[in-house]
Amino acid sequence: MHPIRRYLSSAWQALFGDAVRAFGVVSAVLLLALAIAPAKNQFAQWHQYQRRYLSLIHDRGDAVTLRRRFQPGIHQTWLPELGVVDRCTTCHLGLNEAGLGDVSQQPFRKHPAIPHSLDGFGCVICHGGQGPATTVAEAHHSERAGEEPILPARYIESGCGQCHQNALPGTPQLNLGRAMLTRYGCVRCHAITRPDGTRVMATDHPPSLVHIADKTTREWIYSWLKDPQAYAESTTMPNYKLSDADARDLSAYLMSSSTPREGDTALAATKAGSSADLAAGPSLYGQSFCASCHAVQNAAGNLVGGDVGPELTRIGNKAKPEWLAAWLANPRVYDATTLMPHYRFTAQQVATLTTFLQAKSDSDYGTGVHLDAPIPAQVAHGKRLIVELGCAACHEINGVQKPENFAPDLSTIGSKPLAQIVFLPGMEVSLPSYIVAKIRQPRAFGASVKMPQFALTAPQADALTTALLSLTNRSRSMPDTLRVAATVETNYQPAGHAGKLINELACFSCHRINGRGGDMAPDLTWEGSSVQRQWLIDFLRNPNTLRPSLIRRMPRFNLSDSENKELTEYILAVYQSPAVDADAVPDPSHSPDVVEHGKQLFYSKYACQSCHIANDKTDKGYIGPTLTQVGSRLTAAWIYSWLKNPQALRPGTTEPNQNMSDEDARALAAFLMSLKGQGAHGAKL
Amino acid sequence: MAVKTSAMMDKVRASRVWRSVFRAGTGDSTLHRALAIQQSIFLHLFSTKVRKRMVKFSATWYLGTLTFGTFLILVITGVLLMLYYHPSVPQAYADMKDLQFVVSSGLFLRNLHRWSAQLMVFLVFAHMFKVFYRGAYRTPREFNWVVGVVLLVITLLLSYTGYLLPWDQLAFWAITVGSNLSSAVPLVGNKIHFLLLGGNQVNANALLRFYVLHCVVLPLAAMLFIAIHFWRIRKDGGLYVQGTEPKPQQNNETVNTAAEVK
Repeated sequence: MHPIRRYLSSAWQALFGDAVRAFGVVSAVLLLALAIAPAKNQFAQWHQYQRRYLSLIHDRGDAVTLRRRFQPGIHQTWLPELGVVDRCTTCHLGLNEAGLGDVSQQPFRKHPAIPHSLDGFGCVICHGGQGPATTVAEAHHSERAGEEPILPARYIESGCGQCHQNALPGTPQLNLGRAMLTRYGCVRCHAITRPDGTRVMATDHPPSLVHIADKTTREWIYSWLKDPQAYAESTTMPNYKLSDADARDLSAYLMSSSTPREGDTALAATKAGSSADLAAGPSLYGQSFCASCHAVQNAAGNLVGGDVGPELTRIGNKAKPEWLAAWLANPRVYDATTLMPHYRFTAQQVATLTTFLQAKSDSDYGTGVHLDAPIPAQVAHGKRLIVELGCAACHEINGVQKPENFAPDLSTIGSKPLAQIVFLPGMEVSLPSYIVAKIRQPRAFGASVKMPQFALTAPQADALTTALLSLTNRSRSMPDTLRVAATVETNYQPAGHAGKLINELACFSCHRINGRGGDMAPDLTWEGSSVQRQWLIDFLRNPNTLRPSLIRRMPRFNLSDSENKELTEYILAVYQSPAVDADAVPDPSHSPDVVEHGKQLFYSKYACQSCHIANDKTDKGYIGPTLTQVGSRLTAAWIYSWLKNPQALRPGTTEPNQNMSDEDARALAAFLMSLKGQGAHGAKL
Repeated sequence: MAVKTSAMMDKVRASRVWRSVFRAGTGDSTLHRALAIQQSIFLHLFSTKVRKRMVKFSATWYLGTLTFGTFLILVITGVLLMLYYHPSVPQAYADMKDLQFVVSSGLFLRNLHRWSAQLMVFLVFAHMFKVFYRGAYRTPREFNWVVGVVLLVITLLLSYTGYLLPWDQLAFWAITVGSNLSSAVPLVGNKIHFLLLGGNQVNANALLRFYVLHCVVLPLAAMLFIAIHFWRIRKDGGLYVQGTEPKPQQNNETVNTAAEVK
């Protein structure tokens, strides 16, 4: 017999030789198997971490306290209404221990200070991961059965965005991402519905292309389509990576579909006669505060100016002079909804600015573009391309319908199961890495992807990813009481002739009134209660800044006296706050005693001079508005109400609520009303 | 030692209490041994006498017994799992996670149930192959083969219904696909689909239905058919051993099973 066989045979005999022996051996094996399960419990990972924690705190000064607070066993945060079962604290034992601030070793590190209690929300709501798990691998990385792995720390602000639909001071990245979703046109193709059912609306203003032939040339359109960033670095228009033929056909369709705008040429003809004052160009550009909205690249290559309107670095390459003149004379003729105000420029000023802007051009730009007259097949192909690429989702184009639901809905993109995602080879298999890659290089995911190439920096892409990751299923299933609603733009529309004037001057581009408008300039909702008539008239005639730390940005609109009066009366009559009671106001003519008392309160009791300047010789406060002429600017009733409760009039203002007594508020108001500045109203000029 | 133990056992067996529970008394006679089998509710399903060659490993490879063994393990672990499980949405998934992460030996229990289930399906097939290729399905055992086929179907249904209970993505989609197969039945396909799921898609009702089927209806049906299966072994002449059966009946003769057995 073969030796191995003989050995096996004798082993078999020894173990299972007779019935009793076989029974014994099988029983022993069974017992051993059953012992493995409890043994695995005993040597579980979390046991080891709890032992390590105990040895970590063993030698510390506060060991007694820490050990008393330590409880062995599995810990969990259970919040049924949130669907939270988080056992992270089983191993992360130091999260709530203020005394462990010096420990940097995970998993025992103290949690950084956040506005919420850790027990109130658990861990997974912000950090992701599998809360119920009690092993590191399962809790942090598992994703094969549809679990959600830990969120990389750089996207942590997305957790806040699940409940907080409004902008928070502590989440700059999330705020930027959300602003970009509306500013870069993302939501014009992709629908995003907030958990409360409202749609996220775009805030950008892509130009209408129905009269494009009035504005520019086909060659410029061709160069622009090929590479928008080559014309203006800061543009939000993405690069569609068009072939030469596609760009040629697209530009052919846009030019052929464009209809002329009568007003443009008519206006241009009348202005053509005026001569330009070459030297006055830069100063007119500066005085009109064009740079508040428009940026221009300076010699060093840096963009200087605002981002409300388009960049003007190479405007001379783009705009036809006659169109530019007509636009400056009255932009609303070409585009009725533009954010640009209707400045009341004189014909000479228009000519000056036109010449000044036309000079902003790059002689190298667009050279070498020679397009032959298009044939009908090319025009037809151009139209097909416009439909395919979804150009009409942003731009109004003659003959093409605005597409509905052009791109996938992103309302729950933050919970997209990994099983539904096709990852590129070599890519990290995680939702954030997929979203970042898709934003940065959409066309890398295949030739059929229509999404164009946006010019984004890495921080911008991360911010967008953060905003998208906050759109989770959990944010929709959360109890309504936890949700902080977004501030949604109202569609407030001022009435009458003054309302038309407010629209023409595009006040909403910078000012907010009744929940509509920009945030560049002060909210004017209660302006009528706050200012005096004469000051308002003077200010509209020649605006000045009120705060020493701000550059002056309100432009002069060259309003006629009747327009000025109309606007002033409207503001004073309509923008009245119910919180300001004109009857509860002290008589403006006060005794010098009361004024003196108020002055003492100002400088000693309330120390207002730390933020405000009442006397420009002695005071150094640069936080709040200068008050040297406040007596001729604000109404006494407003000052009184403001001092009593600033937040009631302007929520979120940094002015502290001092809980002033009526008497103190009256005395201070009397003092402030006595500050009329040097001379009369005219002194401010 | 051995003598002492057996003498003690004899004494116990002869006691009044023992006799009141187990009606058959003690004794070495064939009669007593036969009575011990015949008078037990569990054992009377089996033959009172078994030939040695029938219980040799080579005769059956014990495949049927092993299948029954996995079934017992599944019943025991299944009952224990039921103590931790709510058939409701989404608690079912959370319960499964609790079993995995916090219940003592919960993972062991789940794995034991799962692997036994896989093994049982495998053993059922192995058993049937063995029966088929050795020809043990032939007269007079045709009906027991049919019972076996019913048991196969029950086993597969148990396996299928159990798949939904973890209520994870795999379960959800597997059952969605599986139940959609039933929609392909002509005319009544959609009705069957609706009946199976208690709705038009896999949801809370489907989970409850599958739970009841998996834990009550199908196990009871399995036990009933297992009992018939075992009882038929006795009635059909004991376990089949190749080469020791009587010659097959001539076609023109009527089959008299009773005569064959006695």
